[in-house]
Amino acid sequence: MKPLSRRLSSPKRHLPLKTPLQRAHRRDHTLSALWDLGCGGSPASAPARRQRSFSVRLGLAGVAIWAATWIWPAGVLAQDTPDYFRQNCMNCHTIGGGRLTGPDLKDVTQRKDRAWLVNFMVNPKAVIDSGDAYARKILEESRNVPMPTLPGLNKDRAERLLDLIEAESKLPESQFKGLQISQEPFTDADRQRGRAIFLGHVRLEAGGAACISCHTMHDTPALGGGRLGPDLTNVFERLKGRKSISAWLMAPGTETMLPIFKNHPIRAAEIHALTAYFEASASESPAEPAADRVTFLLTGLAGAVALVFGLDAIWKHRFHSVRRTLVDQASMRGRR
Amino acid sequence: MNVRSQVSMVFHLDKCIGCHTCSIACKNVWTDRKGTEYMWWNNVETKPGTGYPTKWEDQEKYKGGWRTNGNGQLEIRSTGRARVVPNIFHNPHMPSLDDYYEPWTYDYQNLFNAPEGSDQPTAMPISRITGEELDIQSGPNWDDDLGGSPIYAANDPNLAGLTEQQRQQLGSVERLVFFYLPRICNHCLNPCCVASCPSGALYKRGEDGIVLIDQQRCRAWRSCVAACPYKKTYFNWFTGKSEKCILCFPRLETGQAPACFHSCVGRIRYLGVLLYDADRLEEVARLPDDRLVEGQRSLILDPFDPAVIAAAEKNGVPESVIDAAQRSPVYQFVMKWKIALPPHIEYRTLPMLFYVPPMSPVLANRENDTIHHATDNLFHEIDNARVPMKFLANLLGGGHEGVVRYALAKQMAVRWHRRAETVGDVDREAVERLLRAADCTADEADAIFKLTALCTFEDRFVIPPMCREQAIEMMKDPHEHRQEAGFGFVGGPRRGL
Repeated sequence: MKPLSRRLSSPKRHLPLKTPLQRAHRRDHTLSALWDLGCGGSPASAPARRQRSFSVRLGLAGVAIWAATWIWPAGVLAQDTPDYFRQNCMNCHTIGGGRLTGPDLKDVTQRKDRAWLVNFMVNPKAVIDSGDAYARKILEESRNVPMPTLPGLNKDRAERLLDLIEAESKLPESQFKGLQISQEPFTDADRQRGRAIFLGHVRLEAGGAACISCHTMHDTPALGGGRLGPDLTNVFERLKGRKSISAWLMAPGTETMLPIFKNHPIRAAEIHALTAYFEASASESPAEPAADRVTFLLTGLAGAVALVFGLDAIWKHRFHSVRRTLVDQASMRGRR
Repeated sequence: MNVRSQVSMVFHLDKCIGCHTCSIACKNVWTDRKGTEYMWWNNVETKPGTGYPTKWEDQEKYKGGWRTNGNGQLEIRSTGRARVVPNIFHNPHMPSLDDYYEPWTYDYQNLFNAPEGSDQPTAMPISRITGEELDIQSGPNWDDDLGGSPIYAANDPNLAGLTEQQRQQLGSVERLVFFYLPRICNHCLNPCCVASCPSGALYKRGEDGIVLIDQQRCRAWRSCVAACPYKKTYFNWFTGKSEKCILCFPRLETGQAPACFHSCVGRIRYLGVLLYDADRLEEVARLPDDRLVEGQRSLILDPFDPAVIAAAEKNGVPESVIDAAQRSPVYQFVMKWKIALPPHIEYRTLPMLFYVPPMSPVLANRENDTIHHATDNLFHEIDNARVPMKFLANLLGGGHEGVVRYALAKQMAVRWHRRAETVGDVDREAVERLLRAADCTADEADAIFKLTALCTFEDRFVIPPMCREQAIEMMKDPHEHRQEAGFGFVGGPRRGL
């Protein structure tokens, strides 16, 4: 609710408003006027007012909650450019922190002209496919990982992002320098903690989903982990080391992970532990999916058999056919 | 004293010849409709045998009837307050169609329509439910068809408590014995089917005690099928309603005997009114097994007692019904002579159909193609009868031999007495001794003889006026009722509400 309260106190709220963001402001303005009315704006006598004010407040609180849920998406659209950068760019780029998957963006506007940059940002794939030499070069440097087309990145926003990068480049220490990865050596305790976090035995502090929901590892027990994401046994090698893994974990960028971790970022200490775990497993070979499937099937079959026999034992004295049983017993006696 | 009247019955098993005429009469009148093919409101069983449905007397399987719990309270074995909800989609302990039998007919058309071939065409049995050809596995009187079968007769629950020797004797060819047990609904005083019905569709008619199922209110729970220990309620798969013997109440209301009574070839059936004290029902139904027969007799009131008559009149029992109760042949058999006994009273439903236990041939054994009888007496000792006393006690005495022995001894004394009277070749003093031992007088023996052997239609069936007009008057204007009754207005029962 931080944006709402900020806007309520905004001195600009009486100005004529046009953009969607500004329309949201206007709604806030109406709301605050109503709130004023309920909370003491009316000239009614004190006892009556007190009596009424409770019910009015209750009603207004309801209206406010309804309005807030209605306004919220507009607020998200109006995300500040730094927020956007943090959530969408930082898993591959830094400003003055060296290259990760993508290049360091410090002074990028001096390396290439703005029009080209905006064009590339809005639709990287089209530029790469057009055979642009510089784009090809970047692609090669990025180990052939192309820049994804980002949702909501239009020309307008690209311009603003470039403004931000220019401004940050001038600072001696940018806030987007990237994660300050500790260089401490990994300990056994780190690795164990990483494994516990992966398996969900230890909760992620900010409430993100445990890795095992979508991923599996070479030593994931029994029924294995999720199959939505890839096997992470050799991820340390695949992402080329500690730094890029840490950057990825700080702001995971895939379509599946982004919405999950956007509002529940993984903390630095957790990233440290997970990286330790990934590093330790780098030399192992990934889990054998076929074997896991057999285990799964056998476990399921055993469970079904146990259930059938268990229920049969529980209802042992249920009614069976009387005549058929009689005849079967007699014919068995006859055979003997 | 809460005096009520009950139309009651006596079946004299010593006279039953097992002809099944009663079953056919009932079938033709009531259960020749779709969905009722397998029902036999009246059936005749061969004993020893497992009956219909198979082993219906085995309540360890079927869980019918009442039992007393730890506190001495009565509870229904098949269901109860706690058991209704967990079993709401599945009523356990329900006999399947196989436990009755799959009804069949024969493909008679094939005799006329078969294509020309080298073989004589036959009429194959076909199921009356599916219409498919059928391999007949069992039938409604399978014990009769396969009498003495080691599969069926050897599993009669009444054989419990018999020695291995007695069981073998019952099955061996030279000593083979059987008798018949015709069964209809007992129209019990404490009916378990009525108590178990979740819809309140079953009721016991106040004026004559006939137990009926309201076809409009039945919701196909089938609790009555599981609860009735005699398995005398049946589920109609076509209409989705349960049905049972109605004691031909439309015939009774017009002064006729029920169809099975009317058609009985052996004249074994007696029908008449009993007055009973409804206040003491529960107390009696909770008695221990060995006192149940006496307890039920104590419920039945003397219709000549002025106090009973006064209480009956106060309770609205019409004078004509009291008069019928005084002439009731059932009262003679059950209360005066005490030779008619309720079947399986240990189910505690207090059945109001009583059986006179049958005499059976003398024991014999075979040596070198010669058969030796256990005694050379014309009428043998009752303990030398081929049907063991214990078997009859399990069936008719709640497992206790005393009441059965009493009934058999009295019948035997009557035979000796009549032999002395008509032929005169037996010692008169010995007969007197036998009569005294059997708690019988010469006059009583003559009366038993007369009602057993020389009974007329009017002696056997003392049908009380049903006084339906009084019952209807209590509910609605009789003129209005007259306009609603008759042919062509009432639809048959059908599925749904």
